[in-house]
Amino acid sequence: MFGRISGIARNTFREAIRDKVLLILLVFAIVVMGSAKVIQPLALGEESKVIKDLGLGAITFFCVLIAVLVGGRLVYKEMEKRTIYIMLAKPVRRWEFILGKYLGLMAVLFVSMLIMTAGFYIILLVSGIPASAYLLWSLLMTAFELAILTAVAILFSSFVPPIASAVFTFAVYFIGHLTRDLRLLAAMSPSAVVKGISEFLYYVLPNLSNFNIKGEVVHDVLLNPQALALSALYALVYTATLLLISVAIFRRKDF
Amino acid sequence: MSTLVEPVIRTVKLCKTYRSGFRMKRVQALSDLELDVGKGETFGFVGPNGAGKTTFIKILIGLTSPTSGEVRVLGKSPRDAQVKTKIGFLPESPYFYEYLTPSEFLHLSARLSGIPGQDVEVRVRYLLKLVRMEDAAHAQMRGFSRGMLQRIGIAQALVNDPELVILDEPMGGLDPVGRKELRDIIIGLRERGKTVFFSTHILSDVEMICDRVGIVIRGRLVNTGRLSEILTEEVESVEITVKGLTGKFRKVLEKVTQQSIRSGDSLFLTVRNEEEVERVMAIVREARAKISALVPRRKTLEDYFMARIREAERK
Repeated sequence: MFGRISGIARNTFREAIRDKVLLILLVFAIVVMGSAKVIQPLALGEESKVIKDLGLGAITFFCVLIAVLVGGRLVYKEMEKRTIYIMLAKPVRRWEFILGKYLGLMAVLFVSMLIMTAGFYIILLVSGIPASAYLLWSLLMTAFELAILTAVAILFSSFVPPIASAVFTFAVYFIGHLTRDLRLLAAMSPSAVVKGISEFLYYVLPNLSNFNIKGEVVHDVLLNPQALALSALYALVYTATLLLISVAIFRRKDF
Repeated sequence: MSTLVEPVIRTVKLCKTYRSGFRMKRVQALSDLELDVGKGETFGFVGPNGAGKTTFIKILIGLTSPTSGEVRVLGKSPRDAQVKTKIGFLPESPYFYEYLTPSEFLHLSARLSGIPGQDVEVRVRYLLKLVRMEDAAHAQMRGFSRGMLQRIGIAQALVNDPELVILDEPMGGLDPVGRKELRDIIIGLRERGKTVFFSTHILSDVEMICDRVGIVIRGRLVNTGRLSEILTEEVESVEITVKGLTGKFRKVLEKVTQQSIRSGDSLFLTVRNEEEVERVMAIVREARAKISALVPRRKTLEDYFMARIREAERK
């Protein structure tokens, strides 16, 4: 079982790193982080915070792009190109296939994040800004957020084409960061329909704003370990649920 | 067939309907298909395009579920992962991960098939040699010709030394040399007691290598049997080539034969039986002309196949 899952995960990883899209995104991310040096004179003494904020933001943004663009076509491409016929004719269970694909993409994201983080710390050092390890907490929470987002991408990818999948996953990402506003909208709206839809979306969509602690780490605000642990647990449960739904859809599928 | 040993493939009243197109029209892909394929048989599944061959194969592999009926492969459900350790499958016009090299892809296939790590390298090398892809073993499959992909497809289907090999249109994309090599591979598998089930619409291949054939038309299995049962040894017609005929005798011959074609000073005649052959020979002797060829023509699978299609169309 582990051999098969890791085989599929390794193949997914290999596919992504041999794809030019990933390389282009990584180069772009480093360029964006480096561009903070250019706007330094405009930062009016706040350059250290601007560079940190921009760096962390760029890492999150480009990782989200990778999860959405690569993840969105992960399963669908296998169906479209019919490589899935060969995979599923081997003694690979369908859930192993989905889990392998998921873990492969998570490995891609992990390595991408590692490269971008290394680039980020080099920029901090070059700029003479103290490269505190405290910033890594923000990246750890981004990793949990990506775990959810990748599972969303895989779920969509198992039944809609890549472009639709990317659009839907992006929509989940954006609304996921506005879930608190959704609740507010539900409380304030006089319409029962709007109230109902907002409440529904609030409970169904992932609450991703919990994973954004960039402001806190950049401004050296003390973090609440309990809240972080709870967010991590939430990410694990949410991801597992999404993967189970993907597997349930995938198991019933006729190819 | 003996009922004591369960066949390698058994389907009972297998039906598959699916919905297609914008209006979700129901399409009956397979109707009450009943088939047994025994151990060690090389079975040719023959039918025109769109007859349901690929749908049937997808059910055998567990890629698609039947709407009704029963399917057993090696005595179990095709979705059973245990069964898949003993099956090799080549899909029609296979497409692989183009960013991989044949060697990497076969390593992946071996790993997914559960082949022990220490045996993988030897197996991959053996298969690359078998399908003559050693020279391209380390080039990315991007840009490979269809024939090259087909060869890799055959190699991956044999990676686990399967008991049952299922090949969907295996001759597609292969040049004559490739087809000959694949026929040799299939014959080799049969000699080792493996069961081979393959679909095709190239009838000459079936005639050369199959023990039994099944003919499927519009989702129905219209006939199964040994080739020797389907194709009788009886002579269907005789083709005679006559040279050096004068105009008068040519006209006489054209009248007494079923079919005649002129080409230069040769006349190609088709007659139905020995009696007609005798009659033609007598006229040729009288005309002092020469018979340059006399070929008895037996019923071919193609004749049989075309007759069944015509019957199905009349119904």
